[in-house]
Amino acid sequence: MRRLRTKAGAVAVVASAAMLLAACGGGSSSDSSSGSGSGGSLDIYIGAQPNFPEQFATWSKALTDTFKAKTGADLTIETYASASDETTKIQSSVVAGSGPDIYNLGTTFTPVAYATQGFLTLSDDDWKKIGGRERFLPQTLGMSGPDQANQIGVPAAMRPFGLAYNTDMFTAAGITTTPTTWDDFVADATKLTNSGTGVYGTTLDFSDPFDPWKFVWAMTEQQGGYFVSPDLKTAGLNSDQTLNATTGYFDLLTKYHLADPASVGWKAGDAIAAFSQGKAAMYPMTTAQAIPTLDKSPLKGHYAFASLPTVALGMTERPAGAQPAASIVSGDNIAIASYTKNKDLALQFIDLFTSTDQQLANFEAFGNLPTNQDAMNQLSAKNALLAPFLEIESNSTPTAFTGAWADVQNGVTNVVTQSQPSLANGSYDTSAVKALLDAANGSAQSALDRANK
Amino acid sequence: MTVDEVAGAPTPLPPPALSGRAARLTSTHGRPLWLMWPNLILLTAVIVIPFLIGVYISFLDLDQYTLRKFFKAPFVGFQNYIEAFTSAGLLHSIWVSLAFSLLTTAVCTPIGLLAAMAVNTAFRGRFLVRSLFLVPYVIPSFVTATVWRFIFQPSGAANSLLDMFGIDGGQWLIGDRAFWALVIVDIWAAWPFIYMMTIAGLQSIPNEMYEAADLDGTTWFQKIRFVALPQIRGQLLLGLLLSTLAHFNNFTLPYVLLGSPAPTPALTLPVNVYQTSFQVFRFGLGAAMAVISLILMIIPAVFYLRASKLTAAVGED
Repeated sequence: MRRLRTKAGAVAVVASAAMLLAACGGGSSSDSSSGSGSGGSLDIYIGAQPNFPEQFATWSKALTDTFKAKTGADLTIETYASASDETTKIQSSVVAGSGPDIYNLGTTFTPVAYATQGFLTLSDDDWKKIGGRERFLPQTLGMSGPDQANQIGVPAAMRPFGLAYNTDMFTAAGITTTPTTWDDFVADATKLTNSGTGVYGTTLDFSDPFDPWKFVWAMTEQQGGYFVSPDLKTAGLNSDQTLNATTGYFDLLTKYHLADPASVGWKAGDAIAAFSQGKAAMYPMTTAQAIPTLDKSPLKGHYAFASLPTVALGMTERPAGAQPAASIVSGDNIAIASYTKNKDLALQFIDLFTSTDQQLANFEAFGNLPTNQDAMNQLSAKNALLAPFLEIESNSTPTAFTGAWADVQNGVTNVVTQSQPSLANGSYDTSAVKALLDAANGSAQSALDRANK
Repeated sequence: MTVDEVAGAPTPLPPPALSGRAARLTSTHGRPLWLMWPNLILLTAVIVIPFLIGVYISFLDLDQYTLRKFFKAPFVGFQNYIEAFTSAGLLHSIWVSLAFSLLTTAVCTPIGLLAAMAVNTAFRGRFLVRSLFLVPYVIPSFVTATVWRFIFQPSGAANSLLDMFGIDGGQWLIGDRAFWALVIVDIWAAWPFIYMMTIAGLQSIPNEMYEAADLDGTTWFQKIRFVALPQIRGQLLLGLLLSTLAHFNNFTLPYVLLGSPAPTPALTLPVNVYQTSFQVFRFGLGAAMAVISLILMIIPAVFYLRASKLTAAVGED
């Protein structure tokens, strides 16, 4: 009996271990010998498209079929629901040395991915295999790597941030051109604001986790300041320019009263809702991906896009050396995991994915603007609504390519978050804002020091 | 069942008197303990090993720059722990989480108790009411937080309601008020847990005890005070402990409700650990904060388990 129990215990142990190993092994990266296709298989990891489920199904099937026809290999598309899902997957894959062959990376996350050394640096030969750097709009390469010799990301989609405006309201107010300076922006928005009827010149979204820092960053760059110095060694969040940019951003609400006071608690979704309902004449810091939502609203056919101002508040022109910073270089890169055994297949996929046809298909399905010059030129030639994004992209400025960027970005976002109670009361204390920026600068500098060790 | 039937029920035979060593041998060899092996293996793989790795990471300078080398990341001793206390806002987050968890448990307890007592006796529609009481608890935290986020918008339902009474609700999800918004939502979502623990305890009290109390002419309150509460003391204390720990560890609710970075007055420890680990990629520092969080959680749990003797072996007092 005792022996029987021992045997049964051993069986249980072996069975459990087998189950565990099987579970752990599932979903890991495959080499080129796996998969049902004779040409091997490739595993890519991209963002889910919860707003476009049917389009995603159609697009992914077409992509898979085309890839199969071109290479004979199977394509497995894994998706992530959120940035944190993606981050977690990258972390575990980098540590384990296995996982998807190709990752879709947000442009501001690319420096962090680069810092992990978990992605292949593309050689000139590699670039040739994917159509060459000249295939892409030059600015989109701004977040591919720290310099041309160390690029890991291939631009796959661009999402420059611009200004959406209500054309009817502009016409009614006699405004014929969109603002090119932030002073113009204030003047136009003041003209368009009628708080008595609940219509404001602009939307703002102080509670959004991503938009506020971009306002502050753009206004800082336009004054000749920086969040991170060009040599990536010094944080500039405690500079006068950043303080001016932050208070200038706050002034849009507290001093000029250009936005709904409730916008202190708004996120991007609230802002687009207000704009599409005609409660605001301008909707800054938006992308072409807003088009499907706006076209489902009464605003369809009554709005257009333009560049955000490129001259800081209180200035008529940019100081020498200051960047236009019409937008961050925004969008997606695709990068090849350094552990992949399918580099050639991965390059073939990237060549396909960034081709004119596929870039146009990506736009049709999800509204992602092409990084492929030919595709973007075709699009902007036949779609006047999109044409401004070509100009915006050309005036885009890349954010600092450092693994410490997350600390910088989160630090500024935190300044806005902790200032919200003051903003809700209609004012702010400049010294309190400066203290918050000083604290954020300390964290950012510490992170930069770690990056430069 | 009548009192006579209870009195006439056969009394279970007492276990044979054995020495301590004999009892242990019997309890061990009399049962197929090998059946625990699958569970133990899985627990080791899913909890023990990750926990040990987490503790190890807490002594490393592990971040995005050293992630790939992982086990070769610089060993920094207790530096992460020191940094957690001195510059990562750990003490503030512990205070916020402690206040949050104690406050929500303190409010949830009377609500859960009263709800359980209200539905303990039969009445028409009791099943429906009992089911409805569980709704807040069974809704996923993510959904709860998302819905309440809409409710607490400046033009949301909460302010519309207050507006009917001439009160300007203002902004709920920023600054100091974010903490109170978090408390309100968590109370709404979590009180059914105390209700469930209480109702389970109340259901186990024999009717005879209430009948005996009735014979003594006790009031409703006295029955609660002297019959029900002493009988459910164990379940209630366990419920309070688990509830406090769950509130302390709640990540989803504050993260979804308030976003990240959270307002400082509502920066709970789990959200702080998340921000440190997965937003600025200080995995070593985040692990140190998580280990400290675990130690904090273990203290009340051990006290409770010792006090309730749940860890005592058979035959031990």
